[in-house]
Amino acid sequence: MYGIFMECWVSFKLYFGNPLQALLLVAAAIYITVFEKNMKKKLLLGILPLLVLAGFLLPVTKMLYVAAFDDGSDTYYRLLWLIPSYVVVGYALCKFAFDLGSRAKQRIALVCSLAVIVLSGSLVYINRYMSVAENFYHIPQNVIDICDVIAPQEGEPRVRAAFPSELVHFVRQYDTNILMPYGREMLATQWDYYNEVYEVMEKPETIDADLLLEATRKTGCSYIILANDRKIDKELSMCGLKVVGVVDKYNIYADPEVMGHG
Amino acid sequence: MNPVLAFLSLVIWLLVVPLCTGLLFNFILPRHRRTVAITFILGFLVYISVFELVAISSMLTVVFSAFSYCTYIFMAISLLLALLGIVRSVILLTKRNMHFLTLFPGEDHGEIRDYLNPRADLKLFKHNYSLESRIYWGIFLALMVLQLVMSVVMASFDGDDAYYVVESLLAQQADVMNTILPYTGSSTSLDIRHALAVITMWIAFLARMSGIHATIVSHTVMPLFVIPFVYLVYAEIARILLRDRQQVTPVFMVVTALLLMFGNVSIYTPATFLLMRTWQGKALVANLVFPMIFWMFLWMIEEIRAIKELVIREGSYRRYDLYAERRLRVTPWIMLGMICMFSGVCSSLGVIFGSALIGILTLVLLFLSKRWTVLVGAFLCIIPNLVYLAIYFSLFQS
Repeated sequence: MYGIFMECWVSFKLYFGNPLQALLLVAAAIYITVFEKNMKKKLLLGILPLLVLAGFLLPVTKMLYVAAFDDGSDTYYRLLWLIPSYVVVGYALCKFAFDLGSRAKQRIALVCSLAVIVLSGSLVYINRYMSVAENFYHIPQNVIDICDVIAPQEGEPRVRAAFPSELVHFVRQYDTNILMPYGREMLATQWDYYNEVYEVMEKPETIDADLLLEATRKTGCSYIILANDRKIDKELSMCGLKVVGVVDKYNIYADPEVMGHG
Repeated sequence: MNPVLAFLSLVIWLLVVPLCTGLLFNFILPRHRRTVAITFILGFLVYISVFELVAISSMLTVVFSAFSYCTYIFMAISLLLALLGIVRSVILLTKRNMHFLTLFPGEDHGEIRDYLNPRADLKLFKHNYSLESRIYWGIFLALMVLQLVMSVVMASFDGDDAYYVVESLLAQQADVMNTILPYTGSSTSLDIRHALAVITMWIAFLARMSGIHATIVSHTVMPLFVIPFVYLVYAEIARILLRDRQQVTPVFMVVTALLLMFGNVSIYTPATFLLMRTWQGKALVANLVFPMIFWMFLWMIEEIRAIKELVIREGSYRRYDLYAERRLRVTPWIMLGMICMFSGVCSSLGVIFGSALIGILTLVLLFLSKRWTVLVGAFLCIIPNLVYLAIYFSLFQS
């Protein structure tokens, strides 16, 4: 039981990221519970959130959740979404500030409250998964440029292309007429899939060109996209492939043998 | 498509059609809640519920070009509803019935009978905001506009897009509904785990109607619609919570806007989902569906007194009172039923969690209202969720 409680506690800590945010929510709920005179608001915004928080930390809740959902361990944190956190904190801060007597005190309290939110939080736009958009698609421009080179024209059959793992997320967000021998499913650590092309293209430090071609030809890849700094034992153009384009650091190789069969 | 026409098409399918649909059905709303905002939300709920029915039916019954069937059927039904809404509005306007819609929350001034009626709640009528409150509204609007601009100029990376966004694009480009594996493009059987959450198909519908690439609709257009929508729901919540001091409502909105902007304390928070994965069903569940459920219960809790006062005079009902009471009692449950359908559109998680949230809040409502009939209301409104789960598990086992 203690072990499961600790798992819940870890989920709780991971969810709030820093102790101040959790403290802010708990303090807001307690403040409403103690100082709110309206029973309805006290119940909804004070007592209920505290009960849900307590329920979240109960081992039995997690046991039931994991039993009910396949991915229960990964998604347990979503129970915390049931607490209207922003409403609770927002209402408590407004009540705190505007229950003070004079206008001056109210304004000072409001500014301090807003400062607490800013200082205890983390601005979404500066996190590492955010970047300046290169286009309206919000995908890397080099992926679009590569896809424009290899995409089939109207009426032509779809093509299959092997991309480096850093690009596979984006290719089919731009053009679904480009098929891939492997995609994001090979990159997610929780899934342990096997893919022949991935095995020879991504796993070895130095790619074995013959093995790569054997795999891509077997899966019908008309194109191979490789970064020019990717180690390979033999230049692909020496194996009969043609460079049909270069975008940033990526060489686009066409395989006439597969295209001829296509 | 011409960019101007594409923009107009998006305005029509995101704003005009839901609002006009709301105009058709807003007679179910109590008079003091018949605002543009609540009418729009009501219309959107009807619109998205219809989409769910059409999309799931098309997906399960049509083999080839399923998405085209879905598009045409939904387009016909939603345009018909919107047209009927316009016709109703014109009829009401020609009869000089100006109460069928008020512009902004609290825009409706009380009438003489409201001021004479000892049971009328004057707090529900128009307020004149002070200069300070207007400044707070200005700050809030500036924060919201900043978030909208950032949602266009900043791109976020999320691996799940390789699935959800591609599902939308496949519908637009290949005319299929969840029968091609998004990651690689191989054909597959219907992916039950995600298929019933047809939000991806709705995005594809918008993409097809506007002629804009589905990825652009997901990443650039959806935040421009969803973020203000989320704040609209928060504003309605604030209006109820701060009924006695409406001047504070804009302050609440400023606090909420900052909490969302600075809410990226982990990858799990609703704020992170809203501003980084706006177009995904989970983000909509956490930021729209759950707050909407909460809002509906605040609404019902606020009406407890009004219902009691109408019920006390049960023996001497006038027609007006009877309709008023029905609106007070039944409308929130109808809207909750449609919110449940909306949760199913977003995610199967929303269906289960939404039902749980309704269960918890119903117990609170039962405690506060002492009316056992709320249990009936709660059961009836989660019927869409039960049907959804029945379909989900029957498909899973077949």
